[in-house]
Amino acid sequence: MCEAIVIEDLTKYYGGFLALDNFSLKIEENEDVALLGPNGAGKTTAIKILCGLLRPSSGTAYIEGINVVEERELALSKVGAIVETPEFYPYLTAEENLGYLGGLRGMRGRGLKSRINEVIKLIRLEGWAKVKIEKFSRGMKQRLAVAQALLHDPPILILDEPALGLDPRGMMEVRKIFKEARKEKTVFYASHLLTEVAQVCAKVAIIDHGRLRVYDSVARLRRKYRSLERAYLKLTEAVI
Amino acid sequence: MSEFEKLKIIAKYEFLKHLRRKRLYAVMGIVIAVVLSILVGLPVFGVDYPDDVTAMAGMLSISATLASIGAVFFAGDAIAGEFERKTGYILFPTPVRRTTLVIGKYLACYVAVALIVLLGYGMVCVSLLGIYGQIPIEVGTSFVLCLLFAGSVLALTFFFSSISKGAMGATVMTLAFVMLISGTIDGVLMMADQPSWFLLSRAGDAIIMVYPGFKAMMTAGMGMGIPAGALEYDIGLCAAAMAAYLVACFFLSIFFTRRREML
Repeated sequence: MCEAIVIEDLTKYYGGFLALDNFSLKIEENEDVALLGPNGAGKTTAIKILCGLLRPSSGTAYIEGINVVEERELALSKVGAIVETPEFYPYLTAEENLGYLGGLRGMRGRGLKSRINEVIKLIRLEGWAKVKIEKFSRGMKQRLAVAQALLHDPPILILDEPALGLDPRGMMEVRKIFKEARKEKTVFYASHLLTEVAQVCAKVAIIDHGRLRVYDSVARLRRKYRSLERAYLKLTEAVI
Repeated sequence: MSEFEKLKIIAKYEFLKHLRRKRLYAVMGIVIAVVLSILVGLPVFGVDYPDDVTAMAGMLSISATLASIGAVFFAGDAIAGEFERKTGYILFPTPVRRTTLVIGKYLACYVAVALIVLLGYGMVCVSLLGIYGQIPIEVGTSFVLCLLFAGSVLALTFFFSSISKGAMGATVMTLAFVMLISGTIDGVLMMADQPSWFLLSRAGDAIIMVYPGFKAMMTAGMGMGIPAGALEYDIGLCAAAMAAYLVACFFLSIFFTRRREML
């Protein structure tokens, strides 16, 4: 089994603030790993570096062996991502937004059109495909974010709080989609929702103050700390 | 998939943005209104059209110059908007070089502005044919200079868009640079009888100063101790200045966009 994501000694400063402190992690192919941590722990910073949105102060990251910092475009061709709360182009319809992003990923013609229909059906926005984004609610945009991450059927999914802004039904549906996806994809899932994480991922990396506190399976952490919640509280008890 | 194919996709969707927003039609409306106000306004106030066709061509071409300044309204959000409105979170994780993004966006904006300039000069030509039965050759020179000016204003806006936090900031900075800073320095240098061809506003004036009749009209109306040489324009130098702004600002916008982080 080869490594889908390798993070090596990532350090990131925002001015004088240390957001990531020598953060390292290895995720095998087809593994599903959650990145857990309190607000400001460095989860989103790590995800943004992996998606080429930020440059690390030091260290590096690889996606399927490709250096994200040096060969950003090639590395990102293998990734579907949701970062923070993405916005879409309001003057385009849902279908057109997906057409634009799919086109940039090399999809075209009938193949692109049928895949757009598939993912729109998957996120249950069939009736909204031809509606401009300016009429979409927060939750609908989040569903569309899920669709764009899955559009090109990437082998790796990097997701930052993908259930944010969704109603309970939406959360359940998105959870189901990613449970299905993890059968054949590598999923790296940042969240602070413990119940969500426990249902979607088999392994957990807990991060706090930019440092990795633990990286283990959910089952082992439950055995060691009696519950994932206790493990989280114990390992992130440092004062913010 | 080649970067050229990606560039075509970016330009296509960016152009779609301009077609679907009201500002393209608003600027077109302004161009039409300016031309009509000259054509209708002069007879209404009992003023005859100038005898010299190039004087009238200069007056009407002001509309197209205004149109090219309208470029700032298309390009202000081209780069800054991706960061400000968070659309960069879906666009930047795609496997596209930022250089390709900037070029694609620039091309789309340029086509939109060129359409307006074309509309302006189309109206100039139709008006001149209707009134004088001829189109002077200088209209062609003015048209080319106007396209160059639009390109340089666009590149300047892209530069400000690549370094400013928001689209509004980029728009205001460009307008301030072209109309206030450049315009004021131009005025001072003109009064002091010093060369100012390197200023974008001065270079832009060449668009209408290529018309001999218009230049003569302006010279006749000048006063306030402005030196006579102030209206002498070296068209080649002005064109070179505009090209320099275009190239320098365009490459700077690529440089800063490539380095910019999506915080």
